[in-house]
Amino acid sequence: MSTNSTVSYLSIRREKIKYGWTKAKRMKVCYLFILPYALLFFTFFILPIVTSIYYSFTNYNILERPKFVGFQNYINLVLQDEVFLTAVRNTFVIAVITGPIGYMLSFIFAWFINELPRWLRTIAVVVFYAPSIAGNAYYIFSIIFKGDVYGYLNSFLVQFGFVNSPILWLTDPKYIMPVLIIVILWMSMGTGFLSFVAGLQGVDRSMYEAGYVDGIRNRWQELFYITLPSMKPMLLFGAIMAITNAFNVCDVPRALAGYPSTDYAARTIVTHLFDYGFSRFEMGYASAIATVLFVVMILSKKGVQGLLRRIGE
Amino acid sequence: MSGVNLNKQNGNPAPAAQPVKKTRADILHEQMVRNGEIKPVVKFNRGMFALKAGIILAVITIIAVVASWRVNVLENNLLLGDKAEALFDQSYAPVYRAVKLGAIVLGALYLIYAVIRFIAPRRRKPNRSVFGDIGIYLMLTLVAVAMAFPLVFSIGSSLKPLDELFRFPPTVFPRQVTLDNFSDLFVTMGQSWVPFTRYITNTVLITFVGTFGHLIIASMAAFVLAKYDFPGGRTFFNVVVTCLMFSGYVTGIPNYVIMSRLKMIDTYWAVLLPAFAAPIGLFLMKQFMEGLPNSLIEAAHLDGAGEFRIFWNIVMPNVKPAWLTLIIFSVQGLWNTNAATVIYSEAKKTLVYALQQIQAGGIARTGQAAAVTVIVMLVPITIFILSQSQILETMASSGLKD
Repeated sequence: MSTNSTVSYLSIRREKIKYGWTKAKRMKVCYLFILPYALLFFTFFILPIVTSIYYSFTNYNILERPKFVGFQNYINLVLQDEVFLTAVRNTFVIAVITGPIGYMLSFIFAWFINELPRWLRTIAVVVFYAPSIAGNAYYIFSIIFKGDVYGYLNSFLVQFGFVNSPILWLTDPKYIMPVLIIVILWMSMGTGFLSFVAGLQGVDRSMYEAGYVDGIRNRWQELFYITLPSMKPMLLFGAIMAITNAFNVCDVPRALAGYPSTDYAARTIVTHLFDYGFSRFEMGYASAIATVLFVVMILSKKGVQGLLRRIGE
Repeated sequence: MSGVNLNKQNGNPAPAAQPVKKTRADILHEQMVRNGEIKPVVKFNRGMFALKAGIILAVITIIAVVASWRVNVLENNLLLGDKAEALFDQSYAPVYRAVKLGAIVLGALYLIYAVIRFIAPRRRKPNRSVFGDIGIYLMLTLVAVAMAFPLVFSIGSSLKPLDELFRFPPTVFPRQVTLDNFSDLFVTMGQSWVPFTRYITNTVLITFVGTFGHLIIASMAAFVLAKYDFPGGRTFFNVVVTCLMFSGYVTGIPNYVIMSRLKMIDTYWAVLLPAFAAPIGLFLMKQFMEGLPNSLIEAAHLDGAGEFRIFWNIVMPNVKPAWLTLIIFSVQGLWNTNAATVIYSEAKKTLVYALQQIQAGGIARTGQAAAVTVIVMLVPITIFILSQSQILETMASSGLKD
């Protein structure tokens, strides 16, 4: 019985492979079309990930050949590198706060904007989306949060008597993280937000009418029973974008808090990676950091995917 | 959908001249009004409403002005002497102040309400309360101001003369508008080691070539991924979607190693080739192409067109919005690259890199730094404003099926 089923399974499998092969041969031209992209994509996106996993087990400084060291890089990362632990903590604080909040804010504001008349909607989309594409406009926060009284926030606080002396927003380890989180939230209405705005306009109008007939009486019920379930694909795309933004924080802390920052208070995993990769050229060690980040990001994507599946069930 | 048919059978033959198409909600609403379950909606008259709102606002304004005039008089009396009268009047001061504040708050709220009633669709949508709308508008206004503030502030700073940049308290808008910062920037640029036009040429070249190559290569791949079911296609697409998450920095280290093996460090290829294969472009293009009807391609097949002809003459002209979106995303990305990690010779650096060097010049360059910020940010924002509707059309198909 069992041998029988194994044999039949194997033969089905073989048939499938054969079928796939003939199909592939018939569709040769498809592979021709995809080839240029696939080649580049493989070289600059897949290969780096694979080599980074490989180098993470070696000691490599570009000049000499990589030397295999086993798990030594990872062990050093956890046991010896205190700055890395700070970086992990900071990255997680930023990711846990700006990821979900930025994601939800993107959706909520897209939803609000969707209620506006057409011409206002256009203006609102531009205003909300502009910060995320404005190049390095976050630089202006270094003037707003400047440590002396000429900084905008400090002058405001001093003038109205909230504080007696200016606060060193970008140098005092106590304040760096909140400032960074605010700036990153400011920039979080990106591609995901656009996707939400477009998706909300695409929800079938007749669904709302049907819902009205079925007894939906306010906008919140409408949101939970009709809008969210039909927005699922956009929500998943937005989540991927949110994860990207939440974990790849690098430019903002470097521009605002300095590099390195006071007591490494603004060190994130990516700035740490940058430090080891491009300043110290310890490629093996940097690759170990990158590998950790890959794993964390893929896991959080899986987690979010699982959560989103539950919507509207 | 059956409800629509039902209505037709119910002796509502819908003559051709009927101007307004009734929705199910309308019909239900009428029924409920007839049965006395809800009050009939009085038709909203814009002119009358504007008149009424104008009168109310005028009254509130008069109250506010009178109250604030009284407050001023009281304060002046206190300053000018005449102690007895001043002290007598002082007991009224809190009342006037409260009236003034109340009138302003009330007026502002009423103004918002009136504006909403006036600009929002005359026939209100079902399931929407006026107070909810007011809340949404208030919230959106507040957050929009907060979002726009840093951008407005940087534009304001770039137009300030040097003495205003370090004024206490700092202002958002310059009192004396000047373009000095921009002209200083040009002077600084003129003193750079490499002629400044060189940086501009580099950026334009990178942006142009990168965008063009990306558009062609990504569209070709997107076309077969969207329209043909071939072994490995779906897996490939899933891998691309996962790679959407990995930014240039995370893959930067191994990428550097690969580039150096390929002898491409310090050439434009190090910027261009990864840009050609940007996952976001392939993703958006593929999702958009899926919306094209298959019959279009089948018909072309029957007419004997080859795959490339179909791609170039039939599919590409039909996905213009996606094209434009790809171009814009790519231009935004390439315009903002400073490429400092892969390009070392000064003559090959990009404009943004050069500008950032000026920006990093410390306190003396604060004004120029603001000018740089404005120049760098205006390009992508302007492009976005001009092509907003096409981008949103593309993004409408950006959803990811689980």
